[in-house]
Amino acid sequence: MIVFAEINTTAVIVFSIVLAITLVITYWASKRARSTAEFYAAGRGITGFQNGLAISGDYLSAASFLGIAGLIYLYGFDGFLYSIGFLVAFLTVMFLLAERMRNAGKYTIADVLAFRLRERPARVAAALGTLNVAAFYLIAQMVGAGVLIEKLVGIDFTLSVLLTGTFMLSYVVFGGMLATTWVQIIKAVLLMACIVVMSVFVLERVGFNPIELFNEAETEGKAEGSTFSLGPGTFLKNPIDTVSLGLALVLGTAGLPHILMRFFTVPDAKAARSSVVTAMFIIGFFYLLTTVIGFGARAILGQGGVEAAGKGGNLAAPNLAEELGGGAGTTGGDLFLAIVAGIAFATILAVVAGLVLSASGAVAHDVWSSIIRKGRDSDREEVLAAKVAALSIGAIAMAVAIAGGEGLNVSFMVGLAFAIAASANFPALLLALTWPRFNTTGAVTGVAFGIVSALGLIIISPIVWGGAPGAPDTGAFTWYDLNNPGLISIPLGFIGCVVGTLLSKERGAERSFHELYVRSETGLGAERALAEH
Amino acid sequence: MAEPTTQRDPGGEIDWQAIEASPEFQELVRKRKAFVLPGTIFFLAWYMGFILLAAYAEEFMSDRVYEGLTVGYCLALTQFVMVLVLGLMYLSRSAKVYDPLAAKAIERWEHLDTDEARAGRVADSRAGSRAATTTPEEPPR
Repeated sequence: MIVFAEINTTAVIVFSIVLAITLVITYWASKRARSTAEFYAAGRGITGFQNGLAISGDYLSAASFLGIAGLIYLYGFDGFLYSIGFLVAFLTVMFLLAERMRNAGKYTIADVLAFRLRERPARVAAALGTLNVAAFYLIAQMVGAGVLIEKLVGIDFTLSVLLTGTFMLSYVVFGGMLATTWVQIIKAVLLMACIVVMSVFVLERVGFNPIELFNEAETEGKAEGSTFSLGPGTFLKNPIDTVSLGLALVLGTAGLPHILMRFFTVPDAKAARSSVVTAMFIIGFFYLLTTVIGFGARAILGQGGVEAAGKGGNLAAPNLAEELGGGAGTTGGDLFLAIVAGIAFATILAVVAGLVLSASGAVAHDVWSSIIRKGRDSDREEVLAAKVAALSIGAIAMAVAIAGGEGLNVSFMVGLAFAIAASANFPALLLALTWPRFNTTGAVTGVAFGIVSALGLIIISPIVWGGAPGAPDTGAFTWYDLNNPGLISIPLGFIGCVVGTLLSKERGAERSFHELYVRSETGLGAERALAEH
Repeated sequence: MAEPTTQRDPGGEIDWQAIEASPEFQELVRKRKAFVLPGTIFFLAWYMGFILLAAYAEEFMSDRVYEGLTVGYCLALTQFVMVLVLGLMYLSRSAKVYDPLAAKAIERWEHLDTDEARAGRVADSRAGSRAATTTPEEPPR
């Protein structure tokens, strides 16, 4: 095994700088991660603007940066479709959940359900939803990190995964939410700076005329063998699957535990609200610029760059950066490539840290503290349990990523995470906050329906059975051709909630709805920020 | 069940149903719903409409508006505009209408939401679910 194939020294230096900054933050935060409120929620002292940046840092994964730029480079319009779904999803978050979560929750999604439902089943269901989403998302990001670092820096896949996992865990275990938040904020700033600079370089070549960029991309996109198109249908070929994907994207974000957890870190609902709008601006601007990068790659690298861009076009953005810096082998080219690689690494670290933190909350806060210890543990013990949980989850994710290796399909697992989030977490949360009649049985059946249907449908989907996306007849199950289960599993999640509720009787749930309702709408009795900060 | 049976939550003095029935609260919920509900229906419809067109109206979406700019990209840009406009509208409405109404609705009760009550509640939420402590008539298991 060659561990150091062809080390890119400049990239290693950039990586080291990024890592050094994050470790300084972690050291500073480590003194403030003693209580559960500090560990899970950064003492609720993050401002709306900071949280907006951190949400962006939490949300814009390597799939957003390299994946979407790559898809736009390869397929044009269809790649952009993902960006739209990812962005519009924040309206769902803002209108339906952000403020209510802040007002009614404490550290985890389960807190909101357990408020009015029977605690044990509600927490188990919510924790299962959280852990399923976090697991698939986490493993996907780890594999992505390994592949990327191997290609960009020349460090072996296994070592890359271990490196990512170790740093991720050190932020979470030593610095808790405060360190994670600042790693996310810094990553968001670096990522935005990177994509703005790259876009300026690209736009400069077309005289800052975006239409000219469209024209040049289209001209290059006419090359033989090109799949690039300014219209839809080149990547997402099965219309009903496109609709299913669109639905899962717009509702999935509102069920992502690591995103919802961010709303517990601000002092009040007002800050939660303003943080969503801040995130909308940052993320919207980011996705607009991803198009510039994807089109720029098409116009500048042309069809000849497809092979070098790798599977899914993931390396299109780094290759474009190298070209903009002066080309392969030049000092500028090396530097640009190294900077983009370093920022891509920071991007992954910020996302995985958020995911591990939310998963550790589900294990330590919901399962350990509330169910196993029945709330008799001390605050200190819960923090310890959360750290142990984070270490275990991190270790498992690293092991699976290494065992599965580069063969694991990253976008498939991210799609699965969104589908489970939209089908299991989102319906139960929304109904708990808005439907007086909703009860424990409804929550449990809804979450179960959501997880089982999303998982089951993914397992029989064409993509698992070797069929290319959009080629319905290549799957093993010819009667089923959806690669994204959302269109079926999201309604099933809601149906599970409604049917479970209507078929059972529970007196307490409706009574405690009044308190949850008033709390979630007004913020009376909501958790406050820690005084010290 | 090992849930605490005594009601130890001082926040239990807050009459949540009275707040819910108050005209301020009702006005808050009604006004917020009057914006959020049509807003949600509108953005979901506009977004899913776009997705449906992208899925089923390939040719229309590929039509030219101006040189390389297609209908698809123009409609995609309207999604960005929609997100930002709705986001900003909601922010300003919240500051002008909803926040003052929410403050009015809980005005009479805020003194019960003291730090001592909170300390009790924190201890409670560590000792079991808040639901269990704030609703003494916990459902039988």
